Amino acid sequence: MEAILTECAQNSLRHFMYRNAIFMCERLCAEFPSETNSQLLAVCYLQNNQAYSAYHILKGNHMAHSRYLFAQSCFKMDLLNEAEAALCPPNESSAEIPNGAAGHYLLGLIYRCTDRRKSAIYHFNQALSLDPLLWAAYEELCILGAAEEAATVFGDAASLCIQKQHLPHGLGSKSMQASAEDQGLISSRNVGAEDLSPRHLKNIHGNSQRDAAGNYHSAPQPGGTGSQPLNGGPTTLSFYSTPSPMAAASQLSGVAPPPICRNMQINGPNSCATGADSSPRSTVNSTIQAPRRKFVDEGKLRKVSGRLFADSAPRRSIRLATGDSVANTNSNVSTVSGNGTNHSSKYLGGSKIATGSVRPVTGRKGQSWSNENFDEGIKHDGYDDSRNSSTTCSSPSSESRSLDQEGPTSAAGVCLSGSRVAVGASDLLALLRILGEGYRLSCGYRCQDALDVYVKLPQKQYNTGWVLSQVGKAYFEMVDYVEADHAFNLARLASPYSLEGMDVYSTVLYHLKEDMKLSYLAQELISTDRLAPQSWCAMGNCYSLQKDHETALKNFQRAVQLDSRFAYAHTLCGHEYVALEDFENGIKSYQSALRVDTRHYNAWYGLGMVYLRQEKFEFSEHHFRMAFQINPRSSVIMSYLGTALHALKRNKEALEIMEKAIMADKKNPLPLYQKANILVTVENFDGALEVLEELKEYAPRESSVYALMGRIYKRRDMYDKAMLHFGLALDMKPSATDVATIKAAIEKLHVPDEIEDNL
Amino acid sequence: MAESSEGEEEGKLVGGNQQLVVDDDLCEMAKKAAWSVSSCKPGNGVLSLRDDNLDTYWQSDGAQPHLVNIQFQKKVKLQLVVLYVDFKLDESYTPSKISIRAGDGFHNLKEIKAIELVKPAGWVYISLSGNDPRETFVNTFMLQIAILSNHLNGRDTHVRQIKVYGPRPNPIPHQAFQFTSREFITYSTVR
Repeated sequence: MEAILTECAQNSLRHFMYRNAIFMCERLCAEFPSETNSQLLAVCYLQNNQAYSAYHILKGNHMAHSRYLFAQSCFKMDLLNEAEAALCPPNESSAEIPNGAAGHYLLGLIYRCTDRRKSAIYHFNQALSLDPLLWAAYEELCILGAAEEAATVFGDAASLCIQKQHLPHGLGSKSMQASAEDQGLISSRNVGAEDLSPRHLKNIHGNSQRDAAGNYHSAPQPGGTGSQPLNGGPTTLSFYSTPSPMAAASQLSGVAPPPICRNMQINGPNSCATGADSSPRSTVNSTIQAPRRKFVDEGKLRKVSGRLFADSAPRRSIRLATGDSVANTNSNVSTVSGNGTNHSSKYLGGSKIATGSVRPVTGRKGQSWSNENFDEGIKHDGYDDSRNSSTTCSSPSSESRSLDQEGPTSAAGVCLSGSRVAVGASDLLALLRILGEGYRLSCGYRCQDALDVYVKLPQKQYNTGWVLSQVGKAYFEMVDYVEADHAFNLARLASPYSLEGMDVYSTVLYHLKEDMKLSYLAQELISTDRLAPQSWCAMGNCYSLQKDHETALKNFQRAVQLDSRFAYAHTLCGHEYVALEDFENGIKSYQSALRVDTRHYNAWYGLGMVYLRQEKFEFSEHHFRMAFQINPRSSVIMSYLGTALHALKRNKEALEIMEKAIMADKKNPLPLYQKANILVTVENFDGALEVLEELKEYAPRESSVYALMGRIYKRRDMYDKAMLHFGLALDMKPSATDVATIKAAIEKLHVPDEIEDNL
Repeated sequence: MAESSEGEEEGKLVGGNQQLVVDDDLCEMAKKAAWSVSSCKPGNGVLSLRDDNLDTYWQSDGAQPHLVNIQFQKKVKLQLVVLYVDFKLDESYTPSKISIRAGDGFHNLKEIKAIELVKPAGWVYISLSGNDPRETFVNTFMLQIAILSNHLNGRDTHVRQIKVYGPRPNPIPHQAFQFTSREFITYSTVR
C-alpha cells in the first residue's frame, strides 16, 4: 500500500494535481510515518506554494534531503537564519551540504541575502564546480561581480564533469572502448545506474531556478531521493543509463510498468550496456533497438522489460515520474523512430545524448529525458525535430526485426554513446560559455563587449526572450535608448509573457518619452501578472512620465511590497521621493536598494544627486565615485562626478573626469557643457567658448548653451555678442526661471558698469 | 500663463474660471508651508482652504482685514496665487478688495499686489510678477493674503481654496540653466 500511495502521490504531482497529492501523502504519512514519506509530503506542499506547511513537517528532520527541503521552505518564508542552520549546521561544521550543487546554491543565496558576500561567492563557486550546468549560480556570481570568465567555468573541466554525470561509470568520458564486454559494461552500468539514479533525482519543484540546471547532485540517500518525484531533471538521465529510467519507471508504476518504460530499459541496455542482468539484456538489446524509438512491440518487450524491471527496480531508489515520462517517452520514442530506421550501425545514441545534454537547461520534464533515453543508441539525424515533434509510432514489427540485427552492436553503441555525451557536453558548454561571458560582461557594464559576445550566438538562441532582454539592457546602459527599445520589442515578440527585464524596458520608454508605448506596456504587464514587481515598476514609470509623482510613488511602493528583494523598485521609489522633494525618504529608499544589491549603481547615483541638491558636496562626490567604480563606463556618472568635484573646487580633477566622460561617449553633450562651466570658473573663457561652439553644432536648439555663451561674452565685455546669444537663448523657449534670468541679464547688459555680477 | 478674464480696469479682475489650469513649469509651493488665519468660525477653519474640496470654505470671524498667512521654511520663488471664490454661492461673503503682501515675517511685510474682484465665480488667478523681467518671481519667506473688504459690504468672508505657485526647480541640481533640447535631457539623468 505504501508503494501505491507513494506512486499515486507522485503521479498527481507530476500532473500538477496538488490537492490530490497532498491528500494522498497525508494518508501515506499517517499509515507509514517515515522521514521519506514526510519528505514527499513536504514536496507536495512546496509545489503548492505552502512553504509554511512544509516547514512544520520537516522541522527537526536530519536527513540531508529533508534538511535541504526544510531550508527551501525557510527561504521561501524569509527565515534565513533557520535555512542557513539547516543547510550548514553550526555545530557540525564538517557536515556535507545536502544535495551538493543545489545545496550550495541555496546556501549562497542565503549568504547573499544576509550580506555575506565572500561566503556567498564561495558557495556559488562550489555549486558550479559540482554541477557546471547550474547557470543560476553563475548568474549570481556575475551579479555579485565575482564571476570568473565563462571560458574557465564552462570549460574542459566542466565538460568532464558533465560527462561523468551523464555516463555510467563504466563508460566514463575517456575510455569508451568497445573492449568493454557487454557483461562488463552491464555491470558497470549497473553501478552507474545506481549512482546516477540519485543524481537524476529531481528535486524540487520549489526551486524552479535550480531545475533549470537540470542535474542535481543529491546525496545518495535512497529514502530522500526516493521521495522526490522526478521532474524535469532527468533530461540528463537519458544519457546514461537507460536502465535507470526504467527502474524508476518500474518503481513508480509499481504494479505494471508501462511498456514504454520497458522499452526504455531495453533500449538502455542497448545503448549503454546497462541493465540488470546480462542475459535479458542481450535479448533485449536484440529486440529493442528500433522499438526504442517506438517501443511498440510491447508483447515481446514486456517480457524482457519485466525482467529488466525486476532487476532495476530495487536499484532504483528514485522514483521516476513514470506516468508522464512514460507517455512522453512513448511519444518521444515514436518521434525518434522518425529519425530513420537504419539504426543498425549508427545508433549511437551519442548524438542524442548530445542533444540531451543541451536539453537539461530547458528543464523539460519527463518528455525530454525520455527522449534522451531513446536517443541512446539511436541514430540521430535531426534529433532536434524528433525530439520536439510527437509523431506516431511507426510499425513496430519492422523495428523489432532490425533490433535483432542490432544486438551485437550494443557494445559498440555503448562506447559511442560515451563520445556522444562528450560532444553534447561540449556543445552545451560552448553555448553556455557565450551566454555566460555575455552576462558577465554586461554585469560589469562592459556593454559593447557583451553585445559583441551575444552576437556570436546562433540565430535561434539569439532570438529568445532572455538574450534579447540582455541585449536591450546592454544598449540601455550605453544610453542608446533607440536600439534598446528595438531589442526589447523583439524580446516581447519572442516571449510575450516573460517579465524579465521589462522594468528596464519601461525605463527606456520613459527616457524616450514614449508615453503611448509605455502605458501600453504597463497595461499588458499588469494584465499578465499583477503580482510581479516589474509590472508595477512599469506602471509607476508611466505616471512619472506624466509628472504625477505621487501616483508613481504609490506604484513603486507596491512593487516593493511585492518583492522587497527587487532593488530597482527601491531605487525608483527614491527617484520619486526626490522629485517630490522629500529627500529624507528618498535617501532611505536608495539605501534600501543598496542593502539589497550593493552593485546597483543607480542607487549610488541617486544618493549622489540628493546630496548634490542639498549642497553636501563631499557626500555627493563619494557616492558618485562609488557609482563610477561599479560602472566605469558611464559617461553620465562621470560627468556628475566631475560636477561634484567642481563644486568642491577641485577643478583640475573635475576637468580630467570630464575629458574621460567625453571620450567615453561622444554622443553625450553633458560633459562638454560641464567642461565649459568649469573652464568659466577657472576663467579660461576662450576654452569655454570653443567647447560651447562645438556643442552648438551638436545641439543647436539648446538654450542653456547660448545662455552660457551670452554670460561669457558679457564677462568679456563683448556686449553685442552677449546680446545676440541671450536673444538666441530666449528663442529656444527655455523655462520661466531661465527666461527671467536671461532677461535680467539682458537688462544688466545695458548697464555695463554695474559691478553687481550675479549672473 | 493661466487663463483668466482680466477686467478692463487696472487691478480689477472680473469673473473667474471653472477649471484650474496652470503652466507645466509651475508647481505648487505651499504644501509644506505653515498656514494660519487671523480668525475663523469653528468648523470652517484654515484646513478648508487646503483640502481640495470646493464645498468647504474658510469663514472669518472678526474684524477686517482678514488675513491668511503662509510661512515657508526657506525663501521660495513665487509667481502666482490662485483663489476659488464664488459670488453666486457666497454673495456678501465674497472678497472684494485683496492685498497681497510679502516679507520675511510679520514685522516687515510689504504689499506687492493689490487687486479688486468684481463678482468672481470660480478660480481667480493673481499673478505676482512685476513688469520688469527681473521681477517675474517674488522671492520671499512669507506671503500674506489680506482681504480688505467684501462684496455688498459684508463683514466676514468665505474663501473656498487657495493655491500658491512658483517655478519648478531645476531637476538637475547645481545647474545654472535648465536644459531644453532632447539631446541634453536624455543624457542628463540616470534612472
